[in-house]
Amino acid sequence: MSILRAEEARVLIPPYQDLREKIDRALGGATLQSCLACGVCSGGCPTGDIGAPVDPRKIVRMLVWRMYDKVLASDMIWLCTMCGRCTVYCPMGVNMGDLVRALRTQLAEEGRVPRNLQKVVDLAIESGNNMGISREDYLDTLDWMQEELQAEFGNQAEIPVDKKGARVLYVINPREAKFFPLSILAAARVFHVAGESWTLSSRAWDATNYALFSGDDKAGGILVQRLADEVERLGCQELIMTECGHAFRAIRWGPEQWLGHKLPFGVRSIVQLMAEYLDEGRIRLDPSRNRQPVTYHDPCNLGRKEGVFEEPRRVLQAAVTDFREMTPNRENNYCCGGGGGLLSLSEFGQIRMVKGKVKIEQIQRTGAKIIATPCHNCVDQLNDLCRHYHLEVKAKNLIELVSDALVTDVNKE
Amino acid sequence: MALVNLGGIEIEVDEDGFIQDPDKWNEAVAKALAQTEGIEDLTPDHWKVINYLRQYYLEFGIAPMIRKLCKETGFSLKQIYDLFPSGPAKGACKIAGLPKPTGCV
Repeated sequence: MSILRAEEARVLIPPYQDLREKIDRALGGATLQSCLACGVCSGGCPTGDIGAPVDPRKIVRMLVWRMYDKVLASDMIWLCTMCGRCTVYCPMGVNMGDLVRALRTQLAEEGRVPRNLQKVVDLAIESGNNMGISREDYLDTLDWMQEELQAEFGNQAEIPVDKKGARVLYVINPREAKFFPLSILAAARVFHVAGESWTLSSRAWDATNYALFSGDDKAGGILVQRLADEVERLGCQELIMTECGHAFRAIRWGPEQWLGHKLPFGVRSIVQLMAEYLDEGRIRLDPSRNRQPVTYHDPCNLGRKEGVFEEPRRVLQAAVTDFREMTPNRENNYCCGGGGGLLSLSEFGQIRMVKGKVKIEQIQRTGAKIIATPCHNCVDQLNDLCRHYHLEVKAKNLIELVSDALVTDVNKE
Repeated sequence: MALVNLGGIEIEVDEDGFIQDPDKWNEAVAKALAQTEGIEDLTPDHWKVINYLRQYYLEFGIAPMIRKLCKETGFSLKQIYDLFPSGPAKGACKIAGLPKPTGCV
């Protein structure tokens, strides 16, 4: 095998040699030659055969046959949501998500990232957040939510900003500030009742990192470093991420890839923190306030990639009266169909709806009226799907359900 | 990209249904876009939101924060979400002829 690879390396022209090295790095222990061409990956791809095809085996075989230009020009590279379900079944451990990202890295270097995805990364780098929100607008929204919090809990309740020495730095998805600020209020309620020492930042507050999707390693490193610097500046002990699957993956996986080292502080999802609050009795929930049937969607980045399966279920069991598992779930869960940056890729807006049909059928079978998921991207895709297929189900983040069920000094019997 | 007929004119929309040339927007286009979002009749309350979004976009080139939208129109968050079931971004902004916002929307 090594002789064969050495031979290949010798005859590849420089750009392809560079790509080959990226692929080898991304695959780690496995190699393209490890692939047995068994096709289990293609069978595992949730929606590879629905609408525009995505065929993981074909991608690997084409690379083995050195059809680099054709692979790089294929829509499959951007239609793949990098959900990793194919890899769960691969007997040789060829990691397709990492492989596809390596291909995107090559395309990013060549300036060939689709416009709508590149725009999100550029805006984050230039403006400090992926929606181009000004500092003034962001702080104004926090003030607004603080007024709501204080109306309930009194003036001592606050949404702290830049509070040095707070234990937790909490970072959000810009869409919360721009369009859906009630999830910020929900988090503030939970932190307040739990008695947490926490803060938001006025500088580096955007949890997201679309460079994970675009393949731009340099941008990925810049965005991760911003959060790391802010934790240090404010002297926080832990970085808590909002319910955002890719942001969580980027900050957990990215530092070693892009900065060459681990972060010197802990990083968790707010869902994990809420599970801890429940375990320690720091918050109490009254599930009778959420009586509608609720199912759970495992975001690929939080679940399959980062192994967070049980905490969100523990939280939901405590927050609602009628929790129903969707099938398949956990490692076998189907991607919502909007992952890997696809939600932002208006180039493929219609295909995104077509590929989500199976997910809709799975949701429908649960009979749930609410689908809870700790990922803003999944929430938006699932709500788009429910509207598109006329299913009367609402996708929500877990924090919304927890906040609704939260027992406070103000609202207890 | 596709060329579709909205309110009697041929207009280019992206695959998510957002119009590509904001200059081509007019009230008939808004009504047609509202239908694609499942809103049969645009009430005066809808127009209040749409007109504010439109005016803000023409002035600043982006969609306003929902904070500003609530403040300027006098509607609560709940009222905005009720008026536009597909949300402020994919519902209200789309109908007002704004481009699709960046990020997780």
